[in-house]
Amino acid sequence: MQSAVKPENEAARLAALYASALLNTLPEPRFDRLTRLVQQALHTPIVLISLLDEERQWFKSRQGLDVCETARDISFCGHAILGEGVFQITDALADPRFADNPLVTSAPFIRFYAGVPLKVAAQPIGTLCIIDSEPRTLSDAETAMLIGFAELVEQEITDRLHEQAHLQLAASELMYRSVLEGTRIGTWQWNVQTGETVFNERWAEIIGYQLAELMPISISTWQHFAHPDDLALSASLLTQHFNGELAFYDCKCRMKHKNGHWVWVHDRGKVISWTADGKPLMMYGTHADITEQKQAEQELKASRDQYQALVNNIPGITYRCLADSDWTMLYISGSIDPLSGYPATDFINNQVRSYASVILAEDRNRLTKIVERAIAERRSWHVQYRITHRDGSVRWVEERGTPEFSEQGELRYLDGFILDINAEKQLKRKLISLTAQLPGVVYQYQQWPDGRAAFPYASAAIEQIYGVKPEDVTADASKVFAVIHPEDMPAVVNSIQQSMSTLSLWRSEYRIVSKQGDIVWLLGSATPEKMPDGSVLWHGYIQDVTTTKQHYLALEKANQALQVARERLDTASEQAQMGFWQASLKTGALWWSPVIYRIFGFDEASTVPSVALFKSTIHPDDRQKVAQSELQAAQTGVHDVIHRIIRPDGTIRWVHETARMLPEAENPELIMVGSVQDITERIKLQQLKDEFISTVSHELRTPLTVIKGAVTLLNSGMLGELAAPAQKLLSAAQHNSERLSHLINDLLDIEKLVAGKMPFSFQQLIVAKELEQATQALIPFAEQYGVTLQLEPVLSVLRVRSDALRLQQTLTNLLSNAIKFSTSGSKVRLRAYQHDSLVRFEVQDSGQGIPEEFQPQIFERFAQAKTPQGESKGGTGLGLAICKELVEQMGGSIGFSSLPAQGTTFYFQLPVAGSEK
Amino acid sequence: MRVLHVEDDEDIRAVTEIALVQLSGFQVLSCESGQQALTQAERFAPQLILLDVMMPQMDGLQTLAALRQLPGLAGVPVIFMTARLQEAEQQRYLSAGAIAVIEKPFDPLTLGTQLRELCQTKLADSRLSDV
Repeated sequence: MQSAVKPENEAARLAALYASALLNTLPEPRFDRLTRLVQQALHTPIVLISLLDEERQWFKSRQGLDVCETARDISFCGHAILGEGVFQITDALADPRFADNPLVTSAPFIRFYAGVPLKVAAQPIGTLCIIDSEPRTLSDAETAMLIGFAELVEQEITDRLHEQAHLQLAASELMYRSVLEGTRIGTWQWNVQTGETVFNERWAEIIGYQLAELMPISISTWQHFAHPDDLALSASLLTQHFNGELAFYDCKCRMKHKNGHWVWVHDRGKVISWTADGKPLMMYGTHADITEQKQAEQELKASRDQYQALVNNIPGITYRCLADSDWTMLYISGSIDPLSGYPATDFINNQVRSYASVILAEDRNRLTKIVERAIAERRSWHVQYRITHRDGSVRWVEERGTPEFSEQGELRYLDGFILDINAEKQLKRKLISLTAQLPGVVYQYQQWPDGRAAFPYASAAIEQIYGVKPEDVTADASKVFAVIHPEDMPAVVNSIQQSMSTLSLWRSEYRIVSKQGDIVWLLGSATPEKMPDGSVLWHGYIQDVTTTKQHYLALEKANQALQVARERLDTASEQAQMGFWQASLKTGALWWSPVIYRIFGFDEASTVPSVALFKSTIHPDDRQKVAQSELQAAQTGVHDVIHRIIRPDGTIRWVHETARMLPEAENPELIMVGSVQDITERIKLQQLKDEFISTVSHELRTPLTVIKGAVTLLNSGMLGELAAPAQKLLSAAQHNSERLSHLINDLLDIEKLVAGKMPFSFQQLIVAKELEQATQALIPFAEQYGVTLQLEPVLSVLRVRSDALRLQQTLTNLLSNAIKFSTSGSKVRLRAYQHDSLVRFEVQDSGQGIPEEFQPQIFERFAQAKTPQGESKGGTGLGLAICKELVEQMGGSIGFSSLPAQGTTFYFQLPVAGSEK
Repeated sequence: MRVLHVEDDEDIRAVTEIALVQLSGFQVLSCESGQQALTQAERFAPQLILLDVMMPQMDGLQTLAALRQLPGLAGVPVIFMTARLQEAEQQRYLSAGAIAVIEKPFDPLTLGTQLRELCQTKLADSRLSDV
């Protein structure tokens, strides 16, 4: 067998083959259609489109054969591509080149082969071949047909390549378009000559439209939306691009957005084709929204401006300088001007002067050393020094600075901040002179863990306080401690220790003994501060409080006394069950002392007293009474009422309220202050007593009725005459039974009067008539004493407001008294007359007068005067006391005048009738 | 004048009887209790009833109420006698229908006159009110 040789230009052939992009691709109808046509037209069982690469022949299309490739060295096609036109083997077995070829000797048992080279880019990349297992010879017509078919295959290969190129182009265009869409960039095409323009959707979107809304589109669409001020710039840039001065048209301009605001766009484009006569024809370009970028730029500028303004406004001076001996400034804020008197520009790059030149010469070395050390240790510095102002004055400044190093660790520059502390320094000086004015001592006290102590600073006043000079104690505090009172020393030492260990405020009040031996009270307080060396430094103030202290001690003593008095009062009020209260009738506010809570049965802790609460406790039957008393208090200022209250548990108690109230003019809040006493027990006793008296009077009167009745009947003689001695005895008995009757009546009367239970029935009484009645009643009694009653004339119209019965009782008592104390044969005078709005009654006797020593007690109960001879005049000793009570309870007053041996005049006065109106 | 006198104290009954019978010529029926008075009053047909207030069992007011129930006694004037006179009590007795209250100890010499006068006043009053 003879293999085909390789063509001379095999490399170019292979390149053309690969460029055809057919190898190893799937079968395609366009080729299979052709091979089937060849099969039918030339009546051959096998038709192949065979492509030859370096190793094999591979079939792009095959009819009548199952395998898709064979080795190249046994291929017939390897021979066919070497020449032009049809390569034909009519009988392979008869051809020595192929007779032993395995494709001949075994399947597909080739006997006939005819192949036409397929040329792409003038290179034979393969063949169109027909194969038969029978020997055959192609006719001329058949040969021409096969060649024609081969040309058709070549055409298909070429077309296919073109189509693929187109597809790739389309794909890459799509890709570019997607990229453009992705970058949100608008695009435009402009025919400069015709004005015809194409925008993409994004172009319209940038200014808030849909492309359809802008139709029809032309170059004037752009001009319409562009900012008028930017059109000139755009035109100028275009001209420069057209002239070739600019490679691109590149313009940032504003366009009107649909919403009315301006949108910044970046337009960039290029002419891509020209007319034959050299004019620009087509221009393509992009259109990008740069509003945000513009905004960011503007914001950046604004914040830069703001920063600048800030730097200019902060009180200090910021700077950046080189680390050289001149302090060469790269930047220094404008506020250096007021501080130094020179503008900042003077210092920048030492244009006029260096910063070092304004630093006070004495401070320069120190400053340099501090800064050098800070640089060496790579830390910031903090220093105070002075600079010389242009006007020659020296200013204190405080500087904080820090060295700036590059990433490689090289010192680049110094950044810092300078503060004018002149005012502060002056303030400090003022403060020192001020502390000198203080009455106490301002000081610093330092104590070390080993017990050492000192006053590093003390104002001059320490001399007045402790009697030592500030410099005596700067290193050793012992002189101060030496004067502290021994009794107070432990407390002072303890308080210092306490403050030291807890770093809390030290405060102590203690005594010292002055050089003169006086005791001086001091009050000190100080704030501790922990120092790096372990000591504690206090900043404090100590003052002489002796006067205050003495006042305080006096006050304390007074308070104690007050406390004792108060306790006594509390005890008394407790024992008397008497509480105190204060009320504002205006606001209804009420305060109760503790006893009141108990009286009213309230829990002190949970009860809020109020006028309303108090009113709610009053027994319904007594409300009227209390209200009346309050009404009276508003007029008279005195509130005095006894009433019942109902406690929360339902028990009823009697209380006695008394209170005073200032007139409304002086008492706008209507404050009433008063007391309340639980008198339930007293009332109960009273009731018991009333009961007792009532019973006793009954028990006494019953036998008295019998005795008096019997004696009177016997003594009357109506039941028969008696012997003279018997008659005398009966008279005595009758007289004494009457006396006993009087006594009982008087006792009951005084009891009623004192208890305020005597009822009065007031009337307008004709005075003359009342006097007449009283006189008539006593004539028999007067006759017994040999006394004449003389009633003096009274104005017949004179009337008195009084209770008839009680007026008679009063007159009778006074008259009988006068009769008893008159000497026989004398007169007792009775008269009455009007004096202002009162009727004055007078009963005058001409007796011995009332002994002076007895006069003060004359109206007391059971007081009985005796005659100078020491004899008693009889009576109950209640008469005058009853008179006084009666007259006073009828709204009048009673009194007497008495001269020894000249007689006595008792008088009382009662309101004229009608005078109350 | 027929006077029914109810009084628990025997001695007072005696003094009163003597004063009224001997001095004033009254016809007096003395009873020691309200109960006794009730059994005898109707037959006696008093023209005046004199009642003690404080008595055991039936007191003066109760006796008065009971006597008023008896036929012919409803209109008879009643006077109370008491050793324990207080204003409020006096009012109570008057409201209960008494024409007057006499305080003990009373004056036996003038008692008859006093009772007669009180009855006449009462009569005059009732005549006035009848007109």
